[in-house]
Amino acid sequence: MKRCMLLESDLVRYGRQILYPNFGEEGQKELKESHVAVAGLGGLGSPASIYLACAGVGHITVVDDDHVELSNLNRQILHWEGDIGEKKPLSAAQKLSQLNPSIEVTPIFERITEGNAKDIIKGAHAVIDGMDNFEGRFILNSACVAEGIPFIHGGIHGLLGEITTIIPGKTPCLACVFPEGPKIPGMIPVFGVTPALIAILQVTEVIKYLVGFGELLTGKMLYTNGETMEFALVNLTKNPDCKVCGGNRK
Amino acid sequence: MSVKVRIHPLLQEFTGGQEVAEVSGRNVGECLDHLEIQFPGIKRGLCDKRGKVLNYLEIYINSESSYPEELTKSVNDGDELTIVILVGGG
Repeated sequence: MKRCMLLESDLVRYGRQILYPNFGEEGQKELKESHVAVAGLGGLGSPASIYLACAGVGHITVVDDDHVELSNLNRQILHWEGDIGEKKPLSAAQKLSQLNPSIEVTPIFERITEGNAKDIIKGAHAVIDGMDNFEGRFILNSACVAEGIPFIHGGIHGLLGEITTIIPGKTPCLACVFPEGPKIPGMIPVFGVTPALIAILQVTEVIKYLVGFGELLTGKMLYTNGETMEFALVNLTKNPDCKVCGGNRK
Repeated sequence: MSVKVRIHPLLQEFTGGQEVAEVSGRNVGECLDHLEIQFPGIKRGLCDKRGKVLNYLEIYINSESSYPEELTKSVNDGDELTIVILVGGG
């Protein structure tokens, strides 16, 4: 397939990352031709979509079914005080398009369900988990496994975070490790920096995956603890009886 | 066998905020039993009524997942168990 061309403005805008030896102009072209879906536009999805846009990912789909509230603003940095009441995907698309007019942003104002998840992520080269609930997260995990789309899982609580990169058919999926989520009583505590940290790691994973360099968090979970500043990397195990991906085992 | 157990912050309500405990046991299950002796009630945060490790919990032995059949996995002197809960915020 004929590759896209980089414009003069691309070479300037992305010049500092093009300098990176394992990336270069070919890496930038790869990002320009890529489509990434960000599911959830809260604490994780806000910084994730900002850094995807800054990096020059050519097409970003942003999905959420919420409206912006004042209580979001300590962490959901795509949404500002003047956006209160606005649909989050529209608020997000407006900012991302201003940040980088050369990319395409598709806002989807829908709740992710078993019925629409596959359609929403169809055509994406990777999906970033920015969900704030287990139900949606597990639906996305299943949809990504079914569609063969990499799923960059992230989750946070207070100053705790976790991230793993799921490549369907190759790595354990989220349901292999955690067949279900715990019941969360009410709202969980969160500092904005925690989802910001995890989101930036998620985007780092996406860039490396799309361009094809570096080591990925495949088959590994990175746990972060901002209170103790301890980071732990552990190896995950595929569950041969996993109801989601058991049949995809190699 | 002397084994160090690192307890996830969301489970430290059972330990009075203690992050690390020393337990003894030949396998993960025995280590958790010993943990229960030190911190009565913690096992209900780790296992369901049938004694199975909760679905949203993962126990690592020296950074390796203990899944499957976690409770019968052998441990050696000096091993470190890490108990982790899936966190769901975004």
